Amino acid sequence: MRLVADSGLWSTGRQAAQPQLVAVLEVSGAVLSWTVDDAAHAAQITFTDPDRADWLWRVLGEPGHIALAAALHGGTPEAAVELADVDLKPETLEPLRRLALGHWLRRWWPTSQRNGIAALDAALLDAEIAMLTAGAEEFFTDDTFDSDVAALLRPHTAALSAHLQGGDPRVVELVRTCADLADDVGVAFDETDSVAVRRDDYALAAGADGNGRAASSIATGTGSVNWGAVPPGIFDAAEDTIHWQVEAVGGSAKAVVHVELSGPGLAAGITVRLRSGDFSGAGVLDANGVAAFPILDGPHPVAESAAWDHDWRATAVTVGADAEESSQTRERIREFARARLRAPAGDAFLAEVLVAESDY
Amino acid sequence: MSAGFETATSAVAVSQPRRAVIDRAWRAIGPGVEVLSGDDGGPLRRTVKRILDPLVLRLRSNTQYSAPFVDADTAVAMHELIISHAPQLRSAAAWFELLKRERRRLRITTGNAQELYFPVCFELAVTKGAPAQEDDGSAESVLREVHGDRDRTAIEVLNQYVTNPDVVAALADQLGRSWSDVQAGPEITTPFLAGLTTVLGPAQGHTAAVARQRVWSALIADATPYNLGAKARGAGELPWSITALGLSSVEPQLPPDIVSGSDSERPLNRSVVDRVRATLRRAMGRDDLPDIPMLCAEEVDRSCAPWGLMAEDKQATLIAGIEVGACLAPLSESVDIRYELAAQIQARLRKEAYVLHARRYLADGGGPMHPRQQQVIDDLASFARPYLSRLWARLHGRDVWQEPCDDVDDVRALLEGVARSVSLDHRQRIKSMLELQVAG
Repeated sequence: MRLVADSGLWSTGRQAAQPQLVAVLEVSGAVLSWTVDDAAHAAQITFTDPDRADWLWRVLGEPGHIALAAALHGGTPEAAVELADVDLKPETLEPLRRLALGHWLRRWWPTSQRNGIAALDAALLDAEIAMLTAGAEEFFTDDTFDSDVAALLRPHTAALSAHLQGGDPRVVELVRTCADLADDVGVAFDETDSVAVRRDDYALAAGADGNGRAASSIATGTGSVNWGAVPPGIFDAAEDTIHWQVEAVGGSAKAVVHVELSGPGLAAGITVRLRSGDFSGAGVLDANGVAAFPILDGPHPVAESAAWDHDWRATAVTVGADAEESSQTRERIREFARARLRAPAGDAFLAEVLVAESDY
Repeated sequence: MSAGFETATSAVAVSQPRRAVIDRAWRAIGPGVEVLSGDDGGPLRRTVKRILDPLVLRLRSNTQYSAPFVDADTAVAMHELIISHAPQLRSAAAWFELLKRERRRLRITTGNAQELYFPVCFELAVTKGAPAQEDDGSAESVLREVHGDRDRTAIEVLNQYVTNPDVVAALADQLGRSWSDVQAGPEITTPFLAGLTTVLGPAQGHTAAVARQRVWSALIADATPYNLGAKARGAGELPWSITALGLSSVEPQLPPDIVSGSDSERPLNRSVVDRVRATLRRAMGRDDLPDIPMLCAEEVDRSCAPWGLMAEDKQATLIAGIEVGACLAPLSESVDIRYELAAQIQARLRKEAYVLHARRYLADGGGPMHPRQQQVIDDLASFARPYLSRLWARLHGRDVWQEPCDDVDDVRALLEGVARSVSLDHRQRIKSMLELQVAG
């Protein structure tokens, strides 16, 4: 095993992939990461505090753990350290990789009506992640970002209770075992007679149809949402889901932006910015994913005539935070999701299996 | 902690990871402890934390068992100690099963069952052996007691005590006198701050570790932390602003009130009664708490002491924390890092921020994805404030219980641990700010 310095910490190697493609898990004293679509399942371990990684003997063997601790103790991460005869036992990391993958699925699954990628059942996914977390608790001596089982279950008590009445025995089995776990960690499942309202995760919000081009529009165009700039569960994960048009209202230019929605999250409050040469504008999406705002040239409103003269081809519309993201990264994620749905792997979550089955 | 580690480096061949030693001993107990074990047969994390460490290995008095690596002799001693408690552990397991059944029957759903019941079960196992075959109602009464919030009683007594205006007047009088007793001496501060560079610096090898301990021992005897604390209440010049650090809402620091105010006040503004209340809240399960009048009188003196802390080692640790806190900024790339320990903590915080980023809770560069997150992000930008608030609370606790801060490794671990818990807290807030908005 070789340890290198990575931004002031010891690591088994730098994680090269874009953060969107990385499944991470924060355990006691370390952050583990995998590239989601790496078939080899190679793990990177970055030690936030090797002394607190008291589980290392489980994945390196006792001599390996001792050798690693001795090599790193007291030293600032600098030149690489080579540890002869110390190797990860990959099978010991497998449950952790699956847990990391579960957390990744919660956040990056590319739900899209347009692309035909259905949403994963959030309650079932979180229930399974909670079970895996409890099963890996020897890696959570310290509380970490990922150790809180109760927090995973708490939002879903009604939905999980409702699942108990569903017919699928796999679902019932998962929820049953999970109910015991919930009980232990102080989360009360609702009485079974309270029926959760099932949301249609596909439903497009009513409202403006972004494709309709108003008669008065000066220019229109499309753009794509950067996933890393917005919370999950709000926007359709296809490309070109931002539709913008420039209109003239009362003699000055106004932008109307509509973003396609797909998911239970609320779009309201998320910022939108438009930039086109020297012109710019900013607004906030409403619950329907629509924002309308004046276009400015510096501090001044852009007059209708100036808007007609402007070349709008280089217009960029940003939704959410400023973030760089390539469309290839997103396509790679979609491809990963499609592949998992085509042929659910051994590490598939029940929520994925259910979506895969309903595709037929 | 490095004390145990020296053993490991000098005797690599015979040393063993402590957790592996515990795991082996646990498995040797055999059947009867399944409810205290994980799927793989090892002890649950809370079995270790709540039963084995404090009640079987008794780390408080047997510090040799707490090192991350132990030598062969210590390993054997730990193994035997755990095995010799096998009957009690089996009984504790039986009690836990019983309590869980009762919990379900009584429809109690609050609190983590393992966290709350494990120590009680072990205590029952030691005092009563295995639970009776016939239900004698003892499980129910145990649960009622656990969930009955014992500490509320002490807090009630406190609240009652300070409704008496004479009591409050006497405490106010004492406070007036104690406050004026504290005066800064003439000593200069530079040697202390220079010493911190060593304490918060690296120490590779045994000699350096010994030297670092020696410097810390000298620093906690230095008058600087006292003097700086005394200057914080006068016109005297401090190297920092106590309002910017979030330790006080006014500058210079004013004497605290006896009763009024709220928990949300900055540490040095909290009223005497609030400080005592915090002590009582943290006193879970401790029997050695002095009575309320004594606690209040003592807290008056403490609140008048420099930094609101009586002992010099606590005052010195707070100064070290101020210096470290100034270097921490989880969402910024580069900050001024004067100390190696601060650099280490900062590197961790950055990694933890990356986890948020990889989980789509924060945008690249630390920006909010949703305006709702802005407040927490602003809080993170001034990390020193929550960091020092929490450090102060921990030091206050140690000051009350007279737990020392004289071991340099322990102090460094404290400074690291506070950063870890503040960071976790903040990140959970950032996360919940995003999850809040999902309807249903």
